[in-house]
Amino acid sequence: MARVTLQELTKVYDRNHAPAAERVSLEIGDEEFMVLLGPSGCGKTTTLRMIAGLESITSGTLSIDGAVMNQVPAKDRDIAMVFQSYALYPHMTVKQNLAFGLKRRSVDRQEVARRVAAVAEILELSPLLRRKPHALSGGQRQRVALGRAIVRDPKVFLFDEPLSNLDAALRVSTRSEIAALHRRLGATMIYVTHDQVEAMTLGTRICIMNGGKVMQVGRPLEVYHRPVNTFVAGFLGNPPMNLLPALVTDDVGGRTLAVGDSRLTLPSERMPPSAPGRQVTFGIRPENVALRAPADGKAVQVAGEVTQLEALGAETMVAVALPTVSAPITARIAGDAALAVGQRCTLHLDLAASRLFDEDGTALNPSHQGGGP
Amino acid sequence: MAAGSTAPPLDPGLKRPWGAITAFLLPAFTIYMALTAYPAVRTLWNSFHEVLPRRETFLGLANYGELVADDIFWKSVANTFIWACASPLIEVTVALLLALALYAKVPGARFFRVAWFTPVLMSYIVVGILWAWIYNYDWGPINVVLRTLGLGGWTRPWLGDPDTALPALIFVTSWMWVGFNMVVLLAALHSLPKEVIEAAELDNCGWGGKLVFVILPMIRATVLNLVVLSFIGKMKIFDLVWITTKGNPLWSTETVSTYVYKRAFEWSTFDLGYPSTIATVWFVIVLAAVLGLTWLFRLREKLEY
Amino acid sequence: MTVLKRSIVLLLLTGYTLFAAGPFLWAAMMSLRTTTEIHLDHFAFPDPIHWDKYPDAWFNSNYDTYFANSAQVVVAAVIIVTVIGAMAAHCLARYRFRYNRLIYFVLFSTIIFPPQITIISLFQIMVQYGLYNTKVGLVLVYVAIQLPLTIYILESFFARIPSDLFDAARVDGYSDWEIFWRVAFPIAVPAVATTIILNFILLWNEFLFAVVLITDEANRTLPLGIQRFIGDTQEDIGMIATGLMIAIIPVIVIYAFFSEKLIQGMTAGAVK
Repeated sequence: MARVTLQELTKVYDRNHAPAAERVSLEIGDEEFMVLLGPSGCGKTTTLRMIAGLESITSGTLSIDGAVMNQVPAKDRDIAMVFQSYALYPHMTVKQNLAFGLKRRSVDRQEVARRVAAVAEILELSPLLRRKPHALSGGQRQRVALGRAIVRDPKVFLFDEPLSNLDAALRVSTRSEIAALHRRLGATMIYVTHDQVEAMTLGTRICIMNGGKVMQVGRPLEVYHRPVNTFVAGFLGNPPMNLLPALVTDDVGGRTLAVGDSRLTLPSERMPPSAPGRQVTFGIRPENVALRAPADGKAVQVAGEVTQLEALGAETMVAVALPTVSAPITARIAGDAALAVGQRCTLHLDLAASRLFDEDGTALNPSHQGGGP
Repeated sequence: MAAGSTAPPLDPGLKRPWGAITAFLLPAFTIYMALTAYPAVRTLWNSFHEVLPRRETFLGLANYGELVADDIFWKSVANTFIWACASPLIEVTVALLLALALYAKVPGARFFRVAWFTPVLMSYIVVGILWAWIYNYDWGPINVVLRTLGLGGWTRPWLGDPDTALPALIFVTSWMWVGFNMVVLLAALHSLPKEVIEAAELDNCGWGGKLVFVILPMIRATVLNLVVLSFIGKMKIFDLVWITTKGNPLWSTETVSTYVYKRAFEWSTFDLGYPSTIATVWFVIVLAAVLGLTWLFRLREKLEY
Repeated sequence: MTVLKRSIVLLLLTGYTLFAAGPFLWAAMMSLRTTTEIHLDHFAFPDPIHWDKYPDAWFNSNYDTYFANSAQVVVAAVIIVTVIGAMAAHCLARYRFRYNRLIYFVLFSTIIFPPQITIISLFQIMVQYGLYNTKVGLVLVYVAIQLPLTIYILESFFARIPSDLFDAARVDGYSDWEIFWRVAFPIAVPAVATTIILNFILLWNEFLFAVVLITDEANRTLPLGIQRFIGDTQEDIGMIATGLMIAIIPVIVIYAFFSEKLIQGMTAGAVK
């Protein structure tokens, strides 16, 4: 299929404003499922549209299979795109919608009919072929939009938030459908979303963007466990990583942090030697904060007062205010834990899974291989 | 990420499909240039000349000088303005009353709407002939009714009497256009949020109060649009006059349109220059009037909100 | 509302309906009566009904020619103005380029032009190019005068088509030209239908340009024919009424089928 290479792609709409995408570099391998993830306005859709040829490229190079595509019009790039709004042609039947992209490519009639029928079969659209889009449900429209891309058998599939108009249940089932499609077609896919669950479950790799720039690219768990900066740490995970202001103290060879009243001594591989007095950010995921001491007894204890409880059934999110720390720390604990707001409790922090960030937000221990699940 | 501090490069933009843009616009643009823009400019040029079939003589501003002293022209301007100012008032007021009557959930509203709209679909030629009959002195329904009521003294040749000819024609255009205005106003009324009117009801607002304080302010934009539209339409009026009175009697129904036509194609002067001068001046007057009117309405809007 | 109030309103509305439609009903009745009968009583019902007056007017008073001329000129002008108006409207709604709004404004603003500003020169131009007194010339002029309104109505419709559809078609491999014909135009069919019906009615009734540009009996359109017919027959009211009905009937038929569309089109410019 295809390799897509982005070299410092930049998009400037207005010279008085920050670029919508700035020096985006990304190497998307053959058969890879790359997810562009980020909050709205982060430049992910702009990047996708530049790949599609729907936006011009201000600077940088886009190539597919080594061929530079910057000046190639969208229609000649051999890509298919699934739009957030589906963009089904309202005056055509499902069948005509599916066939529309093929007719152009001088595929002969029988072949068109065969491919349309095959795709309709895969997506269970066969009974709907004669309907027009307005007579379809949201999920059916979504499948037609998918089918229109698949039937073309393009080099690259582009998805622009294809699930955001579906209700929650349909979103889950369609998500697994897309994952199955990727396995089945073995095609290169680039997928834009702001939903981290979609990103984690679908992506071979995730590219997290913010403010037009690439923050981090990596396999889902790698990105989850080893965020390169506080933005990624705070964006991924639900609830996201706890980020607490900390001060390096001079105890134990400069590896001890003062977080509020507590003194935390990090394992050596978690923290490079730092000058005492340095302001840093201490990060730890809620699942690495426990009510009970872990079996190996390595955890460090902090004490505080419960300020908020969110019982989700299987688990409970508890926010605990530590003395003299501005932000509460959130812990993911068992659903049956007996706690009440206002109660004092002791938390056990698994420092071996913690992250440390510099004042400017970049991670201080990037070389460390993240502790797996 | 190292942020580039150099000025961002200029975006080349997608290659504009100039071929397609040109292809899409060219036919319309050609027609516009050849049959609207060019003739308009040529009329302006004509206005400084005496334009005879085989001879064109430059006259400078002579035509304009003649125009200033042309009593018939000013009479026709006055007539046209009377028409263009009276019509919007009559049409919009009557239409508003009818629309309110229909808005109050009367049975058969759809039928009334369709029926009242009919006159505007007919050509002024057809309408003119019909109303010439209606105004007929001997057997026109109006005089017949007057005589039956014993008001024989009131009968008159409505279109033949200089005092009544213009009002009679204004009445015809109102008859034609009220339905149109009504349909537009009705649509505007129906698009009003029901809650607001209900809220006014709760505030113990009577029908009159609701109309003045709630409904009218909300459909104001539509009303003003209709006024401008009716005004523009009457500034162009030609067909109806031509088929009924041809500007008679005694220039009492002469409009600028009919006068231009007469000077260009009826009077045997064969000069197209002078009528072009009338057309040019009239063009400027219409433009100024329409711009002035919209400006006036905008200004009031700003003052009120 | 009380029953009394309601009946008064209803009575008023019915009265106005009679006032609005009465003249047509009167003309319809007269169209089926002879002038002699009419002069005996101007307001009687047709008895006997003279259906033969219609073929009489049609064949003996040249109405067949007038009608055919009107049909040819109007249909040709409507087709042309629809196609080139839709192309221009699509272009102005879809592409961003310099002077886009200026071109739109220039085209659109001619709606308020008084026709006098062009009519004298159009007469000269038509004479100059041998198009005076021809149907072709009249068609061209009709296209020009209906173009602004057509573009105005269609532009606002095209502008509402989501741009994703055009992007999808581009990704599907279609050129700008094909996208217009295969995506934009079919989607705009409701608006296009509105402009077609509206332009048809307005041109069917057009008189001023026709009277200036056409003099030949063989090329007269219906409004000219009627005017001429009045001159010829003077007081033959019965025949004039028949002629009027012949001119009205196509409009009535269209209105009967497309009243909503037509009302939509006529009022498109007035509603904000």
